[in-house]
Amino acid sequence: MIGLLKSMATTMKHALDGSTFTVEYPKTAPDVSPRFRGVHKFSQERCIWCRQCENVCPNDTIQIVMDDKRNGEQYNLHIGQCIYCRLCEEVCPVDAILLTQNFEFTGDTKQDLVYNKDQLRAVPWYKDIDPLESREPDRGAWIGEGEGDVDYQ
Amino acid sequence: MSTGVEETPDVEREAELEELLGDRVLARETHLNAPGVVVNPGDVQDVLFTLRDEAGYDHCSCVTAQQYEDRYETIYHLKKFADPTDEVSVVVPTPLDAPVSQSAEPVYRTADWHEREAYDLVGIQYDDHPDLRRILLPETWQGHPLSGDYDQDKPQVVTLSEHANPLLPDHRDSEGDTMFLNVGPHHPATHGVLHVKTVLDGETVVDAEPDIGYLHRCEEQMCQQGTYRHQIMPYPDRWDYVSSGLLNEWAYARAIEDLADVEVPEYAQVIRTMGAELCRIASHMLALGTFALDVYGEFTATFMYTFRDREIIQDILEDLTGQRMMFNYFRVGGVAWDLPEPREEFFAQTRDFLDELPAKVDEYNDLITTNEIFQLRCVDTGVLEPDVAKQYGCTGPVARGSGVDYDLRRDDPYGYYPELEWDVVTEGGCDNYSRVLVRMQEVEESAKIVEQCLDILESWPEDERDIQANVPRTLKPDADTEVYRAVEAAKGELGIYMRSDGTDKPARFKIRSPCFSNLQALGEMTEGEYIPDLVASLGSLDIVLGEVDR
Amino acid sequence: MTAAATFFPLQNGETVLLPERLADLTGLGEFGVAGELLAAFIAAFIVANIMLAMTGVAGPWAKRKITASFTDRIAVNHLGPGGILIIVADSVRLLSKENIIPENADRPAYDLAPIVIAGSALLGFAVIPMGSGIHLADPEVGLAFVFAVAGIASIGLVMAGYASGNKYSMLGGLRAVAQNIAYEIPLVVTGMSVVLFAGSLQMGTIVEAQAEPLVTIAGVTIPSWFALVNPFAFVLFLIANFAEVGRNPFDMPEAPAELIAGYQTEYSSVYFVLVYLGEFLHIFLGGAIIATIFLGGPAGPGPAELGIVWFIIKIWGVFFLTQWLRSAIPRVRIDHLIEIGWKGLLVLAFANLFLTAAIVGVIA
Repeated sequence: MIGLLKSMATTMKHALDGSTFTVEYPKTAPDVSPRFRGVHKFSQERCIWCRQCENVCPNDTIQIVMDDKRNGEQYNLHIGQCIYCRLCEEVCPVDAILLTQNFEFTGDTKQDLVYNKDQLRAVPWYKDIDPLESREPDRGAWIGEGEGDVDYQ
Repeated sequence: MSTGVEETPDVEREAELEELLGDRVLARETHLNAPGVVVNPGDVQDVLFTLRDEAGYDHCSCVTAQQYEDRYETIYHLKKFADPTDEVSVVVPTPLDAPVSQSAEPVYRTADWHEREAYDLVGIQYDDHPDLRRILLPETWQGHPLSGDYDQDKPQVVTLSEHANPLLPDHRDSEGDTMFLNVGPHHPATHGVLHVKTVLDGETVVDAEPDIGYLHRCEEQMCQQGTYRHQIMPYPDRWDYVSSGLLNEWAYARAIEDLADVEVPEYAQVIRTMGAELCRIASHMLALGTFALDVYGEFTATFMYTFRDREIIQDILEDLTGQRMMFNYFRVGGVAWDLPEPREEFFAQTRDFLDELPAKVDEYNDLITTNEIFQLRCVDTGVLEPDVAKQYGCTGPVARGSGVDYDLRRDDPYGYYPELEWDVVTEGGCDNYSRVLVRMQEVEESAKIVEQCLDILESWPEDERDIQANVPRTLKPDADTEVYRAVEAAKGELGIYMRSDGTDKPARFKIRSPCFSNLQALGEMTEGEYIPDLVASLGSLDIVLGEVDR
Repeated sequence: MTAAATFFPLQNGETVLLPERLADLTGLGEFGVAGELLAAFIAAFIVANIMLAMTGVAGPWAKRKITASFTDRIAVNHLGPGGILIIVADSVRLLSKENIIPENADRPAYDLAPIVIAGSALLGFAVIPMGSGIHLADPEVGLAFVFAVAGIASIGLVMAGYASGNKYSMLGGLRAVAQNIAYEIPLVVTGMSVVLFAGSLQMGTIVEAQAEPLVTIAGVTIPSWFALVNPFAFVLFLIANFAEVGRNPFDMPEAPAELIAGYQTEYSSVYFVLVYLGEFLHIFLGGAIIATIFLGGPAGPGPAELGIVWFIIKIWGVFFLTQWLRSAIPRVRIDHLIEIGWKGLLVLAFANLFLTAAIVGVIA
């Protein structure tokens, strides 16, 4: 009986203190961390069409089409199947890819969720932080060369 | 990683095995984690009985099946509950044209489902198996997806089949009337798409048989198509997808680091340990909340309070890893990022959480564990005796709630755990209540670990903060190297078996899911109890269907 | 102000019921039996609407708000002040849904069940004196009547359970019967102890009996509400009542985590609304019975005109308690429930009855 009363007292305490931990989304959106990985942003100006991002992507989210002179023609992102692993950003040698803090996007069909390079340009940019700075630490580790007798490219 | 010692074949142990098994050993293999003995398909039970009863290998951790160019192979990964570093792999090759081998089910009950999975995905048949049906794929599936000659492009017809005979003959006698009841796959208490075929006598459960596979996503095959270096790491987050991501990532990281012989910087190990234990707290919070949901019904206060606390951890992990659940934070040889800047803020935030945690745990004790009705519901229901738990290969809080003192963090040390002060929690009640208590106390133990990690991280020398080892951009481990490595995930022993074939992708990637093994024990736990106990027992097993079905 | 004087009959110690007064006020009484019948109908309509309005507030809005405050959430707040217009939105939503009737449903029973569930509870309000002159009928067997009609609901639950052609519904229906039988008896027996005090089954008399002062402490007169005279009986009655209306921790017939939604699993659209309303009406009827026989009915500080306000506050108090328990207390298991009913409550209820009888005998 004492246990039951303790349970009731505990819940009543929460009811009376009036505090809530949920927020009224979308009116008040929760803060996202500087490192948050949202929609992929692609910068055509920086891209050197090395296709490393296409290569590293675990599930073929990125599709690059080149012409016969190896100039980039298309850069398509099937955002619907993106798993936000950020490997493309890590692998990019010229910082042409960044995952923004935007996590709000919808589409009615799978087709709606395919972004081409022009649409990717319109993806909202970071709010007020420098993404490159917040991600700086890992670059060295990524670019580092291996040692030992393992065969690497 | 203390891999150096384990990799050298233990000569003494091999000699012992040789003596024990005699000429039943056809050949010897060496896996990175254990010596392997190759035996005849007809000798399986004999060998396993000898190993279990005379050598004490009482834990059949995993059964891996795979196809080579010239043969099929079943590997039984055996361990000891008393000492999981004492391992042996029993390798059973079978010819391509007649892949039939003896079943291990009479020796280890857990082999039941593992062999069904092997039959389902690879196509090896097991003689003497009580019920060799497909387990993950529909009954009507054509071909075995992980076998060599499988044609992926062939269309599959999955028919809607009526349940053959709901009142199974063995559950019907002349006096008692039983009712067949489908619990799930869409039911509020199955924690996902689980289907429990239940036979009821009144409200008493006569038979409960979990039917899984509704969430099978070919995780093993996806990992086989990814490169070791990058493409596999995002996927472990998605096995047990309720915030135990880092624990899962560690399973892969540990296996690949052994396979490719990568030494992880100590600083990264501390960060890993801290992140993993935060995940464990979050995961146990969710387990506690959903269990309360199963016992209380509807949206109870406990559920929301646990979610509130889990939310704080997710915020911390978001700052650390960049995502709330699908972290992809570990890398081969380290972690992706150092602690977020400013570091003091991160430490303060995490410490705040830890400081508030004891009060919250007290609150949970007030809310649930001291509640008489809760005790009435949970004490002595869903009883899982220690011997049964071992037979079914149960691990994690489920085993520890049955008094099985088994925790890979202590028994098979990895990461920074050996340097830290903490205890393995066990409870001897073997019931739903014990499992709740174990989880609650593990939250406190994890908090202790996180606290110590924070202290260490704060005082770590500024110039030695290496977060990643120097790992080549392409990893190509030597051909035919095999490793089976497990870590203590939130739900228990999460193991990865990998075999390399000299390329940059694994030739076989096998996941030993703790939920898969734990769920097998459900029937044993609930028979003879009431429907509410079935629901509570299922909740206390804390399964995640993403990990069961993979 | 003469009209007002006749409007509040309890003040004068004579009972004038709502239909009679309506007949007088509107002149319907002159049309003989037909007129009185019409007046009675209008009166019943008014009372039923008060109750339905209360369920309307409780179901889609108050329940959410109360649960949310226990669980640190915000709950409905978009439509109207405090989200109160969710009631309208939810009604439209529920009524505009397709009414799906399962193939194997046993038709007449399946259709009748929601009406029986909701209707039985409404019937009970007929004999409840709600204060401010709202009292439809005051038969001499009022208390027996209200228990009897409230008990009809279990027939509705069984009908819903078996007619749905669903095994979960069936289990829910069976649980409902087992539970109602086990708790109806302690409920009635505990109610009997009140009758012993009041010396009548008539609701009006029971309320009047509680108006007597119990003690006067420092100028504050505490009335002899039976909850204060015999708190033990009050607690017993509360527990039995929660089981009777199937609320936590005794919400066995629904048991969402176990039986999906029990007897109401297969109901949708209008039928679901009726079943849902029925549930809330039963909580309120339970509250009304408790208020009437233990909490002095419409009595409270201030003028007697406020009777209905006090009465509704008391009913809502009981409703609030059900929601509190829902957040805090786990559901008991069906076998424990039956055990508590037969081995615990029944024994205690009889002990309470005999003790009360002895005390009443001694005083008399």
